[in-house]
Amino acid sequence: MDKTIRAVPYARLPAHDSLLPTITGRESPAKAAEASGNLSRGLEWLWQYLRDIPHPRILDCGPIRQSTVSILMHRGVKLYVADLLTPLQSEAAQLWDRSQKTPQFRLEAFLEQVPPIPPASLTAVFGWQVPDLAPRAVLPGFMARIISYLEPGGVFFCLLHEPHLPEGAGTTWWLESLTTLGSRCDANRPFPYPPITNREMERLNPGGSVKTFLTRSGLREVLALK
Amino acid sequence: MLFERKPRAVPLQLPDAPQVQETPTFLPTTPKVDTPMPESNMRTPSAPAIENKTVLGRSVVVSGELSGAEDLLIEGQLEGTIRLQEHTLTVGQPGQVKAEVNARQVVVLGTVLGNITARERIEIRKTGHVVGDLVSAGVAIEEGAYFKGSIDILREEERKATPAQPAAAVLAARE
Repeated sequence: MDKTIRAVPYARLPAHDSLLPTITGRESPAKAAEASGNLSRGLEWLWQYLRDIPHPRILDCGPIRQSTVSILMHRGVKLYVADLLTPLQSEAAQLWDRSQKTPQFRLEAFLEQVPPIPPASLTAVFGWQVPDLAPRAVLPGFMARIISYLEPGGVFFCLLHEPHLPEGAGTTWWLESLTTLGSRCDANRPFPYPPITNREMERLNPGGSVKTFLTRSGLREVLALK
Repeated sequence: MLFERKPRAVPLQLPDAPQVQETPTFLPTTPKVDTPMPESNMRTPSAPAIENKTVLGRSVVVSGELSGAEDLLIEGQLEGTIRLQEHTLTVGQPGQVKAEVNARQVVVLGTVLGNITARERIEIRKTGHVVGDLVSAGVAIEEGAYFKGSIDILREEERKATPAQPAAAVLAARE
Protein backbone atom coordinates (compact mmCIF):
# COMPACT_ATOMS: atom_id res chain seq x y z
CA MET A 1 0.00 0.00 0.00
CA ASP A 2 1.36 3.35 -0.99
CA LYS A 3 1.00 5.78 1.87
CA THR A 4 2.57 9.17 1.57
CA ILE A 5 2.26 11.98 4.02
CA ARG A 6 4.09 15.11 3.02
CA ALA A 7 4.23 18.29 4.97
CA VAL A 8 4.51 21.06 2.44
CA PRO A 9 6.82 23.85 3.61
CA TYR A 10 5.03 26.99 4.62
CA ALA A 11 7.09 29.18 2.31
CA ARG A 12 6.02 27.14 -0.71
CA LEU A 13 2.34 27.67 -0.03
CA PRO A 14 1.77 31.40 0.20
CA ALA A 15 -1.66 31.11 -1.32
CA HIS A 16 -2.91 28.56 1.19
CA ASP A 17 -1.96 30.91 3.97
CA SER A 18 -4.43 33.39 2.57
CA LEU A 19 -7.17 30.92 3.38
CA LEU A 20 -6.53 31.16 7.10
CA PRO A 21 -8.76 34.15 7.81
CA THR A 22 -11.59 32.54 5.88
CA ILE A 23 -11.44 29.18 7.49
CA THR A 24 -10.68 30.11 11.04
CA GLY A 25 -13.39 32.70 11.17
CA ARG A 26 -11.28 35.77 11.74
CA GLU A 27 -13.33 37.66 9.17
CA SER A 28 -16.86 38.86 9.61
CA PRO A 29 -19.14 35.84 9.29
CA ALA A 30 -21.84 37.92 7.65
CA LYS A 31 -19.69 38.61 4.62
CA ALA A 32 -19.01 35.82 2.15
CA ALA A 33 -15.24 35.60 1.90
CA GLU A 34 -13.62 34.47 -1.30
CA ALA A 35 -10.07 33.33 -1.64
CA SER A 36 -8.37 32.59 -4.89
CA GLY A 37 -5.20 31.21 -6.32
CA ASN A 38 -4.60 28.59 -3.64
CA LEU A 39 -2.01 26.25 -5.00
CA SER A 40 -2.97 22.63 -4.40
CA ARG A 41 -0.20 20.06 -4.09
CA GLY A 42 -2.81 17.34 -4.22
CA LEU A 43 -4.11 18.54 -7.57
CA GLU A 44 -0.57 18.94 -8.86
CA TRP A 45 0.00 15.30 -8.01
CA LEU A 46 -3.33 14.28 -9.55
CA TRP A 47 -2.73 15.95 -12.93
CA GLN A 48 0.77 14.58 -13.07
CA TYR A 49 -0.72 11.14 -12.36
CA LEU A 50 -3.29 11.63 -15.17
CA ARG A 51 -0.85 13.18 -17.65
CA ASP A 52 -1.11 10.31 -20.14
CA ILE A 53 -4.91 10.23 -20.15
CA PRO A 54 -6.17 12.59 -22.87
CA HIS A 55 -9.83 12.49 -21.92
CA PRO A 56 -10.34 11.71 -18.23
CA ARG A 57 -13.82 11.20 -16.83
CA ILE A 58 -14.37 13.20 -13.68
CA LEU A 59 -17.26 13.58 -11.24
CA ASP A 60 -17.50 16.96 -9.49
CA CYS A 61 -19.41 16.70 -6.20
CA GLY A 62 -19.54 20.45 -5.56
CA PRO A 63 -21.88 23.17 -6.78
CA ILE A 64 -21.25 23.82 -10.45
CA ARG A 65 -19.00 26.74 -11.29
CA GLN A 66 -18.19 28.08 -14.74
CA SER A 67 -14.44 28.27 -14.11
CA THR A 68 -14.32 24.60 -13.12
CA VAL A 69 -16.30 23.62 -16.20
CA SER A 70 -14.13 25.70 -18.55
CA ILE A 71 -10.85 24.45 -17.13
CA LEU A 72 -11.85 20.81 -17.22
CA MET A 73 -13.34 21.14 -20.71
CA HIS A 74 -10.11 22.68 -21.91
CA ARG A 75 -8.25 19.69 -20.44
CA GLY A 76 -10.49 17.38 -22.48
CA VAL A 77 -12.43 16.04 -19.50
CA LYS A 78 -15.83 14.43 -19.72
CA LEU A 79 -17.38 15.99 -16.64
CA TYR A 80 -20.17 14.56 -14.51
CA VAL A 81 -21.83 16.99 -12.12
CA ALA A 82 -23.62 16.05 -8.90
CA ASP A 83 -23.88 18.72 -6.25
CA LEU A 84 -23.67 16.63 -3.09
CA LEU A 85 -22.11 19.41 -1.03
CA THR A 86 -25.00 21.91 -0.99
CA PRO A 87 -27.59 19.51 0.52
CA LEU A 88 -25.14 18.67 3.31
CA GLN A 89 -24.25 22.30 3.96
CA SER A 90 -27.89 23.35 3.99
CA GLU A 91 -28.85 20.35 6.16
CA ALA A 92 -31.67 19.53 3.75
CA ALA A 93 -34.61 18.20 5.74
CA GLN A 94 -35.63 15.66 3.11
CA LEU A 95 -32.36 13.83 3.65
CA TRP A 96 -33.31 12.86 7.18
CA ASP A 97 -35.88 10.34 8.31
CA ARG A 98 -37.12 11.69 11.63
CA SER A 99 -39.88 9.14 12.13
CA GLN A 100 -37.68 7.12 14.43
CA LYS A 101 -36.26 8.02 17.79
CA THR A 102 -32.85 8.66 16.27
CA PRO A 103 -32.91 10.55 12.95
CA GLN A 104 -31.61 8.42 10.10
CA PHE A 105 -29.77 9.88 7.13
CA ARG A 106 -31.31 8.80 3.81
CA LEU A 107 -28.23 7.78 1.90
CA GLU A 108 -30.13 6.58 -1.16
CA ALA A 109 -32.03 9.86 -1.45
CA PHE A 110 -28.72 11.68 -1.08
CA LEU A 111 -27.08 9.62 -3.82
CA GLU A 112 -29.99 10.28 -6.19
CA GLN A 113 -28.18 13.53 -6.95
CA VAL A 114 -25.56 11.52 -8.81
CA PRO A 115 -26.35 11.16 -12.53
CA PRO A 116 -26.20 7.72 -14.16
CA ILE A 117 -22.53 6.71 -14.28
CA PRO A 118 -21.32 3.32 -15.51
CA PRO A 119 -19.51 1.39 -12.77
CA ALA A 120 -15.70 1.48 -12.80
CA SER A 121 -15.67 4.21 -15.45
CA LEU A 122 -14.43 7.35 -13.71
CA THR A 123 -10.84 8.52 -13.71
CA ALA A 124 -11.31 10.81 -10.72
CA VAL A 125 -13.87 12.23 -8.32
CA PHE A 126 -13.62 15.70 -6.78
CA GLY A 127 -15.28 15.07 -3.43
CA TRP A 128 -14.26 18.40 -1.84
CA GLN A 129 -15.56 18.37 1.77
CA VAL A 130 -18.37 15.89 1.28
CA PRO A 131 -16.80 13.14 3.46
CA ASP A 132 -16.24 15.68 6.25
CA LEU A 133 -19.89 16.74 6.24
CA ALA A 134 -21.53 13.35 5.67
CA PRO A 135 -22.89 11.63 8.78
CA ARG A 136 -20.34 9.13 10.00
CA ALA A 137 -22.86 6.28 10.05
CA VAL A 138 -23.35 6.47 6.27
CA LEU A 139 -19.78 7.30 5.33
CA PRO A 140 -18.77 3.69 4.53
CA GLY A 141 -21.82 3.31 2.26
CA PHE A 142 -21.18 6.63 0.60
CA MET A 143 -17.51 5.91 -0.03
CA ALA A 144 -18.27 2.40 -1.29
CA ARG A 145 -20.69 3.83 -3.85
CA ILE A 146 -18.34 6.57 -5.01
CA ILE A 147 -15.37 4.23 -5.24
CA SER A 148 -17.48 1.79 -7.26
CA TYR A 149 -17.66 4.48 -9.96
CA LEU A 150 -13.85 4.68 -10.14
CA GLU A 151 -11.92 2.59 -12.60
CA PRO A 152 -8.93 0.66 -11.21
CA GLY A 153 -6.31 3.29 -10.42
CA GLY A 154 -8.97 6.00 -10.24
CA VAL A 155 -8.59 8.75 -7.66
CA PHE A 156 -10.99 10.20 -5.09
CA PHE A 157 -9.82 13.71 -4.13
CA CYS A 158 -11.15 15.40 -1.00
CA LEU A 159 -10.34 18.02 1.62
CA LEU A 160 -10.49 16.92 5.27
CA HIS A 161 -10.21 19.18 8.27
CA GLU A 162 -7.64 18.82 11.02
CA PRO A 163 -8.67 18.61 14.69
CA HIS A 164 -7.48 22.15 15.37
CA LEU A 165 -9.75 23.63 12.69
CA PRO A 166 -13.10 24.37 14.34
CA GLU A 167 -14.96 26.03 11.47
CA GLY A 168 -15.17 25.91 7.71
CA ALA A 169 -18.14 23.64 7.00
CA GLY A 170 -19.74 26.37 4.88
CA THR A 171 -16.88 26.62 2.42
CA THR A 172 -17.30 25.75 -1.23
CA TRP A 173 -14.42 25.07 -3.60
CA TRP A 174 -13.76 25.31 -7.31
CA LEU A 175 -10.91 25.17 -9.78
CA GLU A 176 -9.22 28.37 -10.86
CA SER A 177 -6.71 26.41 -12.85
CA LEU A 178 -5.91 22.73 -12.95
CA THR A 179 -3.75 23.13 -9.85
CA THR A 180 -5.16 26.14 -8.02
CA LEU A 181 -8.31 26.36 -5.96
CA GLY A 182 -10.77 29.13 -5.32
CA SER A 183 -12.96 29.04 -2.23
CA ARG A 184 -15.88 30.89 -0.78
CA CYS A 185 -17.07 30.82 2.80
CA ASP A 186 -20.69 31.92 3.13
CA ALA A 187 -20.97 31.11 6.82
CA ASN A 188 -18.39 30.19 9.41
CA ARG A 189 -20.13 27.06 10.58
CA PRO A 190 -18.41 24.47 12.75
CA PHE A 191 -17.72 21.04 11.35
CA PRO A 192 -20.55 18.75 12.46
CA TYR A 193 -18.42 15.66 12.98
CA PRO A 194 -14.93 14.93 14.29
CA PRO A 195 -12.08 14.81 11.78
CA ILE A 196 -11.61 11.74 9.62
CA THR A 197 -8.17 10.29 10.24
CA ASN A 198 -5.93 8.92 7.53
CA ARG A 199 -6.36 5.46 9.03
CA GLU A 200 -10.14 5.81 8.64
CA MET A 201 -9.69 6.88 5.03
CA GLU A 202 -7.66 3.73 4.41
CA ARG A 203 -10.44 1.63 5.92
CA LEU A 204 -12.99 3.43 3.72
CA ASN A 205 -10.91 2.55 0.66
CA PRO A 206 -10.18 -1.15 1.19
CA GLY A 207 -7.69 -2.57 -1.27
CA GLY A 208 -6.58 0.86 -2.35
CA SER A 209 -4.10 3.39 -1.08
CA VAL A 210 -4.26 6.88 0.35
CA LYS A 211 -2.02 9.87 -0.26
CA THR A 212 -2.17 12.88 2.00
CA PHE A 213 -0.79 16.36 1.47
CA LEU A 214 -0.69 18.50 4.58
CA THR A 215 -1.23 22.23 4.30
CA ARG A 216 -0.97 25.07 6.75
CA SER A 217 -4.62 25.99 6.25
CA GLY A 218 -5.88 23.29 8.59
CA LEU A 219 -7.09 21.09 5.76
CA ARG A 220 -5.54 17.92 4.41
CA GLU A 221 -5.69 17.19 0.73
CA VAL A 222 -6.41 13.48 0.55
CA LEU A 223 -6.26 11.32 -2.56
CA ALA A 224 -7.69 7.83 -2.26
CA LEU A 225 -6.50 5.57 -5.10
CA LYS A 226 -8.66 2.61 -6.02
CA MET B 1 -65.26 74.66 -53.59
CA LEU B 2 -65.54 72.04 -51.00
CA PHE B 3 -62.22 70.43 -51.73
CA GLU B 4 -59.71 72.92 -52.82
CA ARG B 5 -56.64 71.35 -54.23
CA LYS B 6 -53.58 72.70 -52.59
CA PRO B 7 -50.69 73.39 -54.85
CA ARG B 8 -48.14 70.57 -54.66
CA ALA B 9 -45.01 71.61 -52.95
CA VAL B 10 -42.19 71.53 -55.42
CA PRO B 11 -38.90 70.45 -53.95
CA LEU B 12 -36.45 73.24 -53.92
CA GLN B 13 -33.79 72.62 -56.47
CA LEU B 14 -30.36 73.29 -55.14
CA PRO B 15 -28.02 72.44 -57.95
CA ASP B 16 -24.95 72.91 -55.86
CA ALA B 17 -26.19 70.98 -52.83
CA PRO B 18 -24.03 67.97 -51.98
CA GLN B 19 -25.57 64.52 -52.38
CA VAL B 20 -26.53 62.86 -49.11
CA GLN B 21 -25.64 59.18 -48.90
CA GLU B 22 -28.19 56.89 -47.31
CA THR B 23 -26.92 55.21 -44.21
CA PRO B 24 -27.58 51.49 -44.02
CA THR B 25 -30.29 50.53 -41.56
CA PHE B 26 -28.71 47.24 -40.55
CA LEU B 27 -25.94 46.90 -38.04
CA PRO B 28 -22.70 45.23 -38.98
CA THR B 29 -22.62 41.62 -37.89
CA THR B 30 -20.51 40.90 -34.87
CA PRO B 31 -17.84 38.26 -35.19
CA LYS B 32 -18.80 34.86 -33.86
CA VAL B 33 -17.05 33.95 -30.65
CA ASP B 34 -16.98 30.36 -29.49
CA THR B 35 -15.37 30.93 -26.12
CA PRO B 36 -17.68 30.78 -23.10
CA MET B 37 -19.27 34.10 -22.26
CA PRO B 38 -18.17 35.63 -18.95
CA GLU B 39 -20.82 35.43 -16.23
CA SER B 40 -20.94 39.19 -15.98
CA ASN B 41 -21.91 39.50 -19.63
CA MET B 42 -24.82 37.12 -19.44
CA ARG B 43 -28.19 38.69 -20.10
CA THR B 44 -30.82 37.85 -17.53
CA PRO B 45 -34.19 38.68 -19.01
CA SER B 46 -37.02 36.23 -18.50
CA ALA B 47 -37.51 36.18 -22.25
CA PRO B 48 -34.89 37.33 -24.72
CA ALA B 49 -35.81 39.37 -27.79
CA ILE B 50 -38.33 37.50 -29.92
CA GLU B 51 -37.46 38.96 -33.31
CA ASN B 52 -37.52 36.26 -36.03
CA LYS B 53 -38.40 33.70 -33.44
CA THR B 54 -41.34 31.39 -32.99
CA VAL B 55 -42.80 31.51 -29.53
CA LEU B 56 -44.62 28.70 -27.77
CA GLY B 57 -46.60 30.66 -25.21
CA ARG B 58 -47.15 29.83 -21.58
CA SER B 59 -50.47 28.10 -22.13
CA VAL B 60 -49.20 25.92 -24.97
CA VAL B 61 -48.61 22.24 -24.31
CA VAL B 62 -46.93 20.25 -27.10
CA SER B 63 -46.19 16.57 -27.29
CA GLY B 64 -44.22 15.01 -30.13
CA GLU B 65 -41.39 15.82 -32.50
CA LEU B 66 -40.71 19.45 -33.26
CA SER B 67 -38.32 20.56 -35.99
CA GLY B 68 -37.86 23.86 -37.73
CA ALA B 69 -35.69 26.32 -39.59
CA GLU B 70 -36.03 29.31 -37.30
CA ASP B 71 -35.26 30.19 -33.72
CA LEU B 72 -37.69 28.98 -31.09
CA LEU B 73 -38.65 30.32 -27.67
CA ILE B 74 -40.54 27.94 -25.40
CA GLU B 75 -42.47 29.44 -22.52
CA GLY B 76 -44.97 26.60 -22.28
CA GLN B 77 -44.54 22.84 -21.97
CA LEU B 78 -43.08 20.46 -24.51
CA GLU B 79 -42.47 16.75 -24.35
CA GLY B 80 -40.79 14.76 -27.11
CA THR B 81 -37.96 15.74 -29.45
CA ILE B 82 -36.69 19.11 -30.69
CA ARG B 83 -34.52 19.52 -33.78
CA LEU B 84 -33.35 22.98 -34.78
CA GLN B 85 -30.08 22.06 -36.44
CA GLU B 86 -29.22 25.56 -37.64
CA HIS B 87 -31.06 27.65 -35.07
CA THR B 88 -31.32 28.64 -31.44
CA LEU B 89 -33.66 27.15 -28.87
CA THR B 90 -34.44 29.29 -25.83
CA VAL B 91 -36.35 27.79 -22.94
CA GLY B 92 -37.84 30.77 -21.12
CA GLN B 93 -38.16 30.96 -17.37
CA PRO B 94 -41.67 29.47 -17.25
CA GLY B 95 -40.81 26.91 -19.94
CA GLN B 96 -40.73 23.20 -19.15
CA VAL B 97 -39.17 20.86 -21.66
CA LYS B 98 -38.90 17.11 -21.36
CA ALA B 99 -37.13 16.22 -24.57
CA GLU B 100 -34.03 15.28 -26.47
CA VAL B 101 -32.82 18.58 -27.86
CA ASN B 102 -30.61 19.05 -30.91
CA ALA B 103 -29.91 22.62 -32.00
CA ARG B 104 -27.17 24.98 -33.05
CA GLN B 105 -27.40 26.88 -29.77
CA VAL B 106 -29.49 26.33 -26.63
CA VAL B 107 -30.23 28.83 -23.87
CA VAL B 108 -32.02 27.61 -20.75
CA LEU B 109 -33.75 29.88 -18.28
CA GLY B 110 -36.45 27.36 -17.36
CA THR B 111 -36.46 23.60 -16.91
CA VAL B 112 -35.11 20.96 -19.26
CA LEU B 113 -35.20 17.25 -18.52
CA GLY B 114 -33.32 15.45 -21.28
CA ASN B 115 -30.10 15.41 -23.19
CA ILE B 116 -29.03 18.55 -25.05
CA THR B 117 -26.76 18.55 -28.07
CA ALA B 118 -25.76 21.93 -29.46
CA ARG B 119 -23.22 22.33 -32.22
CA GLU B 120 -22.06 25.74 -31.02
CA ARG B 121 -23.07 26.49 -27.46
CA ILE B 122 -25.24 25.69 -24.45
CA GLU B 123 -26.02 28.33 -21.83
CA ILE B 124 -27.75 27.61 -18.53
CA ARG B 125 -28.75 30.84 -16.83
CA LYS B 126 -29.10 31.21 -13.07
CA THR B 127 -32.82 30.38 -13.13
CA GLY B 128 -32.17 27.34 -15.32
CA HIS B 129 -32.70 23.78 -14.14
CA VAL B 130 -31.25 21.04 -16.34
CA VAL B 131 -31.10 17.30 -15.75
CA GLY B 132 -29.43 15.50 -18.62
CA ASP B 133 -26.25 15.17 -20.60
CA LEU B 134 -24.82 18.15 -22.47
CA VAL B 135 -22.76 17.86 -25.64
CA SER B 136 -21.51 21.07 -27.22
CA ALA B 137 -18.49 23.00 -28.40
CA GLY B 138 -19.05 25.53 -25.59
CA VAL B 139 -20.92 25.34 -22.30
CA ALA B 140 -21.67 28.31 -20.04
CA ILE B 141 -23.37 27.78 -16.69
CA GLU B 142 -24.27 30.75 -14.57
CA GLU B 143 -23.80 30.58 -10.82
CA GLY B 144 -27.02 29.54 -9.13
CA ALA B 145 -28.18 27.32 -11.98
CA TYR B 146 -29.03 23.70 -11.18
CA PHE B 147 -27.44 21.03 -13.30
CA LYS B 148 -27.24 17.30 -12.89
CA GLY B 149 -25.69 15.22 -15.61
CA SER B 150 -22.58 15.12 -17.72
CA ILE B 151 -20.83 17.65 -19.95
CA ASP B 152 -18.88 16.53 -22.98
CA ILE B 153 -17.11 18.87 -25.30
CA LEU B 154 -17.68 18.61 -29.04
CA ARG B 155 -14.28 19.08 -30.61
CA GLU B 156 -13.69 21.25 -33.65
CA GLU B 157 -12.66 18.38 -35.91
CA GLU B 158 -15.82 16.46 -34.99
CA ARG B 159 -18.00 19.48 -35.74
CA LYS B 160 -16.44 19.88 -39.16
CA ALA B 161 -16.21 16.20 -40.05
CA THR B 162 -19.87 15.36 -39.62
CA PRO B 163 -22.02 18.48 -39.72
CA ALA B 164 -25.25 16.64 -40.45
CA GLN B 165 -24.77 13.98 -37.81
CA PRO B 166 -26.13 14.55 -34.30
CA ALA B 167 -23.26 15.30 -31.97
CA ALA B 168 -24.35 12.60 -29.55
CA ALA B 169 -23.82 10.04 -32.31
CA VAL B 170 -20.34 11.42 -32.88
CA LEU B 171 -19.55 10.99 -29.22
CA ALA B 172 -20.93 7.48 -29.21
CA ALA B 173 -18.66 6.67 -32.13
CA ARG B 174 -15.73 8.21 -30.25
CA GLU B 175 -16.28 5.81 -27.36
